This record gives sequence, structure tokens and C-alpha cells, in this order.
Amino acid sequence: MNQTRRSRPTLVVTVLALLFLFVPLGIVILFSFHATNSLTPPFEGFSFDWYREVLNDPAIRSGVSTSLRIATLTAVSTLIFGTAAAYGVSRTRGRAGGAYSALFLLPMAMPGLILGIALLSFFSSQSISLSTMTVVIAHSVFVAPVFFIIARTALDRIDERQLEAAADLGAAPGYRFRKIILPQVLPVLLAGAAMAFVISFDEFVVTFFVIGNESTLPLVIFSRLRRTIDPSINAISSLLLFVNLAFWLVALIYAIRLEARRRRDLAGQKEG
Amino acid sequence: MLAMMAFFFVPVAVVVLYSFLTGDLFTVSRPVTMANYNDVFTIPVHRTLAWNSLIIGTIVATLTAAIGLPVAYWLHFSAGRWATPVLSLIVASMFAGYLVRIYAWRTVLGTNGVVNSSLERLGLIDEPLGFLIFSRTSVTIAELHLMLPFAVVMLFAAIRPIRSDHLEAAEDMGAGPLARWRRVILPLMAAPLATTWTFVFIISSSDFVTPQFLGGVRGQLIGTQVNRYFRESGDYGRGAALAIVMILFYVMLWFAIQGALKLARLNRIEWD
Repeated sequence: MNQTRRSRPTLVVTVLALLFLFVPLGIVILFSFHATNSLTPPFEGFSFDWYREVLNDPAIRSGVSTSLRIATLTAVSTLIFGTAAAYGVSRTRGRAGGAYSALFLLPMAMPGLILGIALLSFFSSQSISLSTMTVVIAHSVFVAPVFFIIARTALDRIDERQLEAAADLGAAPGYRFRKIILPQVLPVLLAGAAMAFVISFDEFVVTFFVIGNESTLPLVIFSRLRRTIDPSINAISSLLLFVNLAFWLVALIYAIRLEARRRRDLAGQKEG
Repeated sequence: MLAMMAFFFVPVAVVVLYSFLTGDLFTVSRPVTMANYNDVFTIPVHRTLAWNSLIIGTIVATLTAAIGLPVAYWLHFSAGRWATPVLSLIVASMFAGYLVRIYAWRTVLGTNGVVNSSLERLGLIDEPLGFLIFSRTSVTIAELHLMLPFAVVMLFAAIRPIRSDHLEAAEDMGAGPLARWRRVILPLMAAPLATTWTFVFIISSSDFVTPQFLGGVRGQLIGTQVNRYFRESGDYGRGAALAIVMILFYVMLWFAIQGALKLARLNRIEWD
């Protein structure tokens, strides 16, 4: 088994890396509570003014609702199509299965910029006008590889023998999927869909190219960033940070509990 | 299942097609031409931006790999029960949002930002340090911040199969800490390091949002120009050709690095 090894140099690098990652974010949060509109030290007093301003801002409210709508549609479409794709590929054995997997993972190595201009070119070549729908399609393509990996790991864990046993007892393919596969993979698939939701909610680059007249929250922030440094951006940023962290924390606890349950089940099977 | 793939590959095919057509305002028309490709290589600004991308991409990729590896080592070998919380924290920083993290650096590095105003108050400088913001330096720092969590996750996944037995065996044979890094860790991690390096290079050198907010005049990347063609001048033909040349360069880089690994016999290390 692994024994912990002391290593001071790598500990120092890790601590510095954590500081590098979190100090700037901490500064953004600190100044979101600033009483004046200055963004430089010294810190002159504490207030919730910027939060109040942000929460009452119509542009931001509409950005949030657009983003929520798009993220929800993306999560649902990813759940449906992504599951079908991952299931199809996991049933395809051998070389063809590997090739399909590679095809699905390829978009991940593409910068968002390329996917953005490709979809923009495609939509314009087909005279499809840009709308919520085009953004949902773009986001679904963008998150597909991530969802695909998550779904594949869950599907590959399924014991082949359970399906054979069910088939021997006369269960049709659709019935086998519903009664054997789905109950085992559903929690993981839902986690994957949640992941799709979070990515879609934050996505900027691809959205930038394929959005019509509406603005998602990242686009609202983008247009403000272009104009000036304004403490209300700190407040939006901090709110997003808190929401994302809360979401992430819930997902993490859920994943840990899921894994613990799986281990318990496995241990139970061995004893039984 | 095939529909999702179609939404990736058909648009890429459209970009290839567009790159051989003549760009009009936000559309393309015949005749078929090679002029766009000629432009890609002759327009002087392309050369400057490609050079910036090459330099910034290389520095960012090298630094993230150089920082990510010790962090992954620490997480795997020395962290013990700290591993999960610290890794979660690093991943959580990814969820802070793309634009938020770019913005954070603007408040830190800006002319009136935290660094400059603190140094001024301490009397160390008389006027703001100009090179901190709107330069290659600021873009490099922000890209490092964006990419580091990815690198840590990728390298941590790759370092997990290495057991402390391997290091102990080397230790028993008289290898000091440096020799253990050079002769055990680095060869075993060469392939994942190369993959991480390429991934970070591709993503960071093609970014256009970070340069827009932090790059000023001198810190722009090649993605900036692709964005300009598609969103500002509407010259789809030229933009498509530039994007295709970019992709081809990335693909060649990938094969060159994988080929070099193979030549050095570091691509497939036999375990145990």
C-alpha cells in the first residue's frame, strides 16, 4: 500500500499554487463588500450596496433567466442524446466502439473559438437565424465529450451477466435497459447532466458566436467589463462564485456518498 | 446518436468549405479561391499574433506543467487525508467562472490595481508599473490561472498508478531525491506531461477573451484575429482559412510531440 512520504518542496509549490489561485478571487469578493466605488486598497468600510444594486438590475435579472433557461434545455438534451450516444457506443464492441469514442472525444481538444466559428458558419450557410435554440445546440455539442466520458464509465461498470440472465428470462432489449441498466446508471447520468448545466451556465466563448438578440449572464458581464471597472461586477462575480461553490459542494458530497454506497454494496456482495 | 456528431463535423466541414470561398460582408460567395490561404501567410499582423501565441502558449504550458507536477506529486504521495479537500479546492477554482477569473486579474494587476497601489503606498514605486497590465505578462498570468487546475487534474489522474514502492525501491538502490525525480517520476510522467502541455498550449494560445481584457495592444493572440474576421469585419473566408491553418498547426504539433515521445521510448512504459 501507499505510505505517505514527506516532501517539503512539493508542499511549498502546492501552497503557492493555492495562493495564486485563490488570492485574486478573494480580492474580488472583498471589494464586492466595499462601501465606496473604489477598487483599490485601503478598504474603507463594509456594505451590501453593490449586491442590492445587482439584484435589482433588470439587465442582470434577464441575463440570469436566459442563462437558466439555456442551461436547463442543454442539460435535458444532453441527458437524452448523450445517454443514447454513450449507450450505443458501449454496446459496440471492438474496434468500431473505439473509433466512435474517439469521434466523440475529438471536440474536447478543440478550442471553443473553433467550435463557435464552425457553428456560426454552419448556421449562416443554412440560413438558420441565431436564437435560444442555436445556443442550446452549441452548448450540447460543447458539453457532449464531458458527459460522454462520465456516462461511459458508469455504463462500462454494468455486469454483462445480468443482461444475459435477463435475456434468458425473456426480457426484451427495451425492458432490459429500463429495468437493469437505468437504475444502476441513473445517479451518474443525473450528475453528468448537472455538470452540463454548470458548464452551460458559465459558457462564454461558444455562446458569443451563436447567440441572437438575447444575452446570457456571461454576455451581460462581458459587455460591462468592456466599459469600465465597476464594483457591481465584483458583486455579480462573487454571487456566481458562491452559487457555483455551493453547487459544487453539494455535488461533491453526493459523489462521495454515492461512492461509499457502491463500496458497501460491493462488500455486501462479496460476503453474501 | 449520430445527430450530435453531425453538429460537430458538418460545421467543421462548412469552415473548410468557406476557407476556399471569397468572403463578403458576413457571408461568402464564389469563385473558389486560394487567396484566403495566401492572405493568412502574408498579412503582417498575422505573423505578430502567431508569434505572441507561440510565446505565450509555450510559457503558459511549460509553467502549468512545471507547477502541476509537484502539486500532483504532493497530492498523491504526501497529502494523506488532505488530498481530497485540496484537490476539491483546486477544482472548485475552475467553477469560479471564466470571465470572473479574467476580471480578477484586472483588479489585481490594473494601473490602479491592488499590486500597483500597494507598492505605491509602500513607497517602492513612484508611478504604476506599466508592464503589469495590457501586456504579454498580464495575459500569461491570467492564462496560467485559467489552465493550472486542468493541469493538476490531468497530472494527478496520471500519477496515481505510481506507487510509493517504486520510489522506495529507487531509494534502496541509493537514489537521492533528485535522482528519484529524474529517473523514476519524470520518465513515468513523460507521456501525461506531454499531453497536458499540448492541451494547455492549444487552449491558451487560441484564447481571445483574456487578451481582449488584459492584452492591450501587445498582448493579443491569434484567436483575436479569427474573432475579428468573424464578428467585426465579417470576412468569413479569411477567418475560416486562418482557423484551418491554426487547427492544422495544432494537429501537427500533437503528432510531433507524440512522435518525439515514441522516439525517446517514453510513450509506453511497462508497469511493474
